[in-house]
Amino acid sequence: MASSSSSGLTFKLHPLVIVNISDHYTRVKSQTNPPPLTSTSATVNGVEHQQQAPRVYGCVIGVQRGRTVEIFNNFELLYDPSTHSLDRPFLEKKQELYKKVFPHFYILGWYSTGSDAQESDMHIHKALMDINESPLYVLLNPTINPAQKDLPVTIYESELHVIDGIPQLIFVRSSYTIETVEAERISVDHVAHLKPSDGGSAATQLAAHLTGIHSAIKMLNSRIRVLHHYLVGMQKGDIPCENSLLRQVSSLLRRLPAIESEKFQDDFLMEYNDTLLITYLAMFTNCSSTMNELVDKFNTAYDRHSRRGGRTAFI
Amino acid sequence: MDSAIAQKTWELENNILTVETPDPSSDSIFYYDETAQAKFQQEKPWANDPHYFKRVKISALALLKMVVHARSGGTIEVMGLMQGKTDGDAIIVMDAFALPVEGTETRVNAQADAYEYMVDYSQTNKQAGRLENVVGWYHSHPGYGCWLSGIDVSTQMLNQQFQEPFLAVVIDPTRTVSAGKVEIGAFRTYPEGHKPVDDPISEYQTIPLNKIEDFGVHCKQYYALDITYFKSSLDCHLLDLLWNKYWVNTLSSSPLLGNGDYVAGQISDLAEKLEQAENQLAHSRISPLGPSRKKEESQLAKITRDSAKITVEQVHGLMSQVIKDILFNSVRQSNRSPNEQSGPEPMVEA
Repeated sequence: MASSSSSGLTFKLHPLVIVNISDHYTRVKSQTNPPPLTSTSATVNGVEHQQQAPRVYGCVIGVQRGRTVEIFNNFELLYDPSTHSLDRPFLEKKQELYKKVFPHFYILGWYSTGSDAQESDMHIHKALMDINESPLYVLLNPTINPAQKDLPVTIYESELHVIDGIPQLIFVRSSYTIETVEAERISVDHVAHLKPSDGGSAATQLAAHLTGIHSAIKMLNSRIRVLHHYLVGMQKGDIPCENSLLRQVSSLLRRLPAIESEKFQDDFLMEYNDTLLITYLAMFTNCSSTMNELVDKFNTAYDRHSRRGGRTAFI
Repeated sequence: MDSAIAQKTWELENNILTVETPDPSSDSIFYYDETAQAKFQQEKPWANDPHYFKRVKISALALLKMVVHARSGGTIEVMGLMQGKTDGDAIIVMDAFALPVEGTETRVNAQADAYEYMVDYSQTNKQAGRLENVVGWYHSHPGYGCWLSGIDVSTQMLNQQFQEPFLAVVIDPTRTVSAGKVEIGAFRTYPEGHKPVDDPISEYQTIPLNKIEDFGVHCKQYYALDITYFKSSLDCHLLDLLWNKYWVNTLSSSPLLGNGDYVAGQISDLAEKLEQAENQLAHSRISPLGPSRKKEESQLAKITRDSAKITVEQVHGLMSQVIKDILFNSVRQSNRSPNEQSGPEPMVEA
């Protein structure tokens, strides 16, 4: 069912959407399988503890600019198991509410949880087609697999393919990138790594900042090593040469140095000097404050005799 | 070896509690127990003790939503509501949603259509499986710190009379981006006339000159609560995997460029404060020494601290820029070990 999409649209997904879907799923799961209560309210005894994974459904909203589709947010929807479709008036109500707060966002598609796209999903997909001609289907796989390295989120689009002489809609997988706003990145970082929340000393702030950059550089390094390893293998002849990959790598390398122009150097140095200036000024302020304190202490200690305020303490 | 010791010292200094990775059984916090909540509502243990609630636990989702919403407002204050429940002396915030209210300095009270929105939203949420009630409101103070202004205090006092339990949260998205860490504060007001028994030392933050009066007048009427965050096991897992994708964004973030005007504003504010301090210094030359001296000292010391903070943030931003420059701009022509990144090589034909 899934081949690669050919629509040419680029998708950008915000982490908020992922956390939202995960939260929705966790909520519904814990509500249907209530945790064993330690108190005496014995309502839980008869509950079957099958860990059924409930499927949750919802709508994704965002912005489409030209060929780029950016998914910003999402909200929950009700699923009607008898008609295999989503509750339409509910969707419209919610859409209205969200329009008031985020007037720029449109409904881009819908989401669900599960391990793979199913046939019944196509009904829901078709139902949404009157709101958006080419809706997206975002699927999150909630099973926690410690071995997997990739994000268990897939985006499907629908395409009209002719199978056995009948044009049918099938799901095709599309690639996406993760896009964040700076504030989003900081709060995701904050929650993910539980950094020291209070100000702390300058040393801890510095450590936190540098640790973040260090981890990012480590990732970059490891990715480059993988590429390098692959290329060495190709050179030795262990791996068959793949020209398209070689072209990509070569174009990547040709992009270094990233910027090299007179104007950039000037601007960069100017920014550097500005920061140094600020540091200088801060040092000045610090020094004058310390001097002030020193003089005050001196006065308090030695100037007790002259009660008149004639002699000024401040230079 | 050294680094291990350094890490231990750092952890000790900052009371880092290693939180075990939440496993599925500890996701019980997500379960909403209707009967227990109703019982708690009836008991009202907070009615007797104005300082009853001491902690706030915010879920990852709520934090993310609030920060994104606050940031999307730019320099305009935005507000929204938070949903959750209580747990002993802690208020737990599970989710947040935005309200279509345009906030100005004098008008962050919700108006009629916002109430309608609130009701509609709560109803639809209950249907969709979000059973919690509204436990508080949040709003943003873009650029001027996390504290409650006079209007905020009166709004919160009103809320605490009629809609208990209620919490006020303030977020500063501009400072968040500039400092690289989330600026957030959670507050509850004391009822009218109540004098706080102990004066908890709150973390110092710099307040711009035009707001400092508002801050000073009301700062004794409310107290701050400790904030901790929690996330589900699935969240944990997803966030770990997410790191694989967005380390690129971490590296490519340039806080210096994004916050240029905010920093300029801070510096000019600092300059004004310095002038004020100087004037006070000049005046006290004539007046008798003693207590007045102490006040300027602390004023100058405050200014020093502010300037240090601005500088530190700038230097951090510059460090990122320099690192990126070294990484991507200096092409090293080396014939050394093949591990080094060398310049573009001609394509190898098979």
